[in-house]
Amino acid sequence: MSGYRFDRLKILVVDDNVHMRKLVVTILQAFGVIQIFEAESGERAWAVLRESNPDIVVLDWMMEGISGLDLVQMIRTDPQTPNPFVPVIMLSGHTHIDRVRQARDAGINEFIAKPVSVKTMMSRLMSVIENPRPFVRTKSYFGPCRRRRGNNEYRGPERRAEKTVQAAE
Amino acid sequence: MARQHPIELFMPPNMLKAKVGGTVVGLDMAAINRAETAMESLKSEFANWAQDDVRRLVAARDAFAANPGPAARAGLLRAAHDMKGQAATFNYPLIARVAGSLSQLIHDLPEKCELSLGLVDAHVNAIHVIYRDKVMDMSNKMALALAQELEARVTEALGA
Repeated sequence: MSGYRFDRLKILVVDDNVHMRKLVVTILQAFGVIQIFEAESGERAWAVLRESNPDIVVLDWMMEGISGLDLVQMIRTDPQTPNPFVPVIMLSGHTHIDRVRQARDAGINEFIAKPVSVKTMMSRLMSVIENPRPFVRTKSYFGPCRRRRGNNEYRGPERRAEKTVQAAE
Repeated sequence: MARQHPIELFMPPNMLKAKVGGTVVGLDMAAINRAETAMESLKSEFANWAQDDVRRLVAARDAFAANPGPAARAGLLRAAHDMKGQAATFNYPLIARVAGSLSQLIHDLPEKCELSLGLVDAHVNAIHVIYRDKVMDMSNKMALALAQELEARVTEALGA
């Protein structure tokens, strides 16, 4: 047992496909999540986000209108965003590495390639809870650090060190 | 991607951990088992999902055939892509494979190149047959050969 109080979380699930949405909601409910908001489009998700300010967003990439990728960028950088730091887990049928990079560059925290599995969903939830990434702001990007975790293992030169501003201090 | 300066790097407070508490001692197997049971029963409830998706794919194909513009092409890509993700999750790996081949064709073919309706139809028909015959494993030789042939045609179309 992890002892997580998933019942304290608010999670927004965004997918234009009703079956996939229902599947994700069912998995989350079985984990013990009670407060689950659903949205069938990026537009609706943006409205729900601002009303409910969820703790985690699980969203599909490919949707008509505002896509999952657009929505992540809005969450991270739009002045109206309720929480630019909210963890975003993206679901996608795209599995090519270029697409995963594209999602990462938009500001997602975690990526789940379909088919969706229960273990993967649990491990991504645990990841955003236990190993949150630091945030990075550059001229053209704001979002979770795009380096994989495990930076302690890096043994190369510290190229960032000189110009890094430790805003948290 | 070129590194940009200045970089502001900071760690927001971990509100999630504060909210859910708990300790990491591996995966919570009780929760996982509950979710797997719920997912299995949902799969049987969704017996008609493929039928809905096939209908949606055929409608997108018809819209593209009537007016093969960028909007119809994007609609066809969405339908094929959705089917790829769903079919894999709901135990139709061969449908996922054929839908993946169709997605790749539409996505990777440059916008200025004409998308072959014949090749689109070959994919849609194959999905129809696999669904009609309820082929849910990868051992059906006929269906496998069909999927391989379609993938070869897509590679050819993209390489041309």
